[in-house]
Amino acid sequence: MATTATISISSDVIDYFGGISKTMTMTKAGTEIDIAETTGFSRRKLAATSAVDLITMANELVEPTDNTAAKVYIKNIGNNGVIDKSTFVTVSIGDTGGTTQQVGRLYGGDWLLMPVTVVDDMDVVVAPSTDDAVVLEYTMFFE
Amino acid sequence: MATTASITLASDLLTDAISVSDSTTCMKAGSASDDLDQMELGCVEIATGTNFDLLNADNALNKDKANKVYVCNDSTDETYYVVITIDAIVLGRLYAGDWMFIPWGAEDATADIEIQAYTGTNKISYAWFHEGKTLISA
Repeated sequence: MATTATISISSDVIDYFGGISKTMTMTKAGTEIDIAETTGFSRRKLAATSAVDLITMANELVEPTDNTAAKVYIKNIGNNGVIDKSTFVTVSIGDTGGTTQQVGRLYGGDWLLMPVTVVDDMDVVVAPSTDDAVVLEYTMFFE
Repeated sequence: MATTASITLASDLLTDAISVSDSTTCMKAGSASDDLDQMELGCVEIATGTNFDLLNADNALNKDKANKVYVCNDSTDETYYVVITIDAIVLGRLYAGDWMFIPWGAEDATADIEIQAYTGTNKISYAWFHEGKTLISA
């Protein structure tokens, strides 16, 4: 079984920039063995600016192995087919009851793919910039 | 000008395979029409033993903006990895061949994107799409 992610970036900011194209096969830490666990593909609708856990690491049904090769994918798909580029969801890592560190702002239509530790309380925390409804699609691959 | 980032994500871990194909045009913060128009590309070899700033957040032009950052571990030994950190909070590990693409808030002077290599010297390529960079006076 394999999980692959391919990124393609094109830009005319620099005329001669040839773009970026890279495929990774997600493997277990330090090996060539395919990563084998996933949360599945999920979606969550938010309609308040309060910070909430999108993924709570301590709540995974099978306790993930910490500090390995886990990855998270999140996309801001807007709401009801309307993508608002003027609003965003702040994505952070940490504990909503404690310390969080902002990763960045996921504006309407934007997506991210990042590594995560899956350590308890190093949750994926999200907070919309407005009370308007916004939907996030997400999945996590882990060991 | 336009910068687009596309992803194709495929997994057969589930009975019904996951198949995602998405693309976004990278805009300036809060804009639907004004594209990000500046970028920085780099390739560095990072030795073990020290946590380095890959991108420095001490930049008023990028604070709370729509920065996008791509980082790839171009090492070929599967045991090599780097740890990505923002302001002392570890995001995770990029093993040889892994990449990430994230928005970057750069919300204060300590929100640098930091990187530390393990196992051996890792080769890292990166791209930063942004709205401006404070240049250092000569």
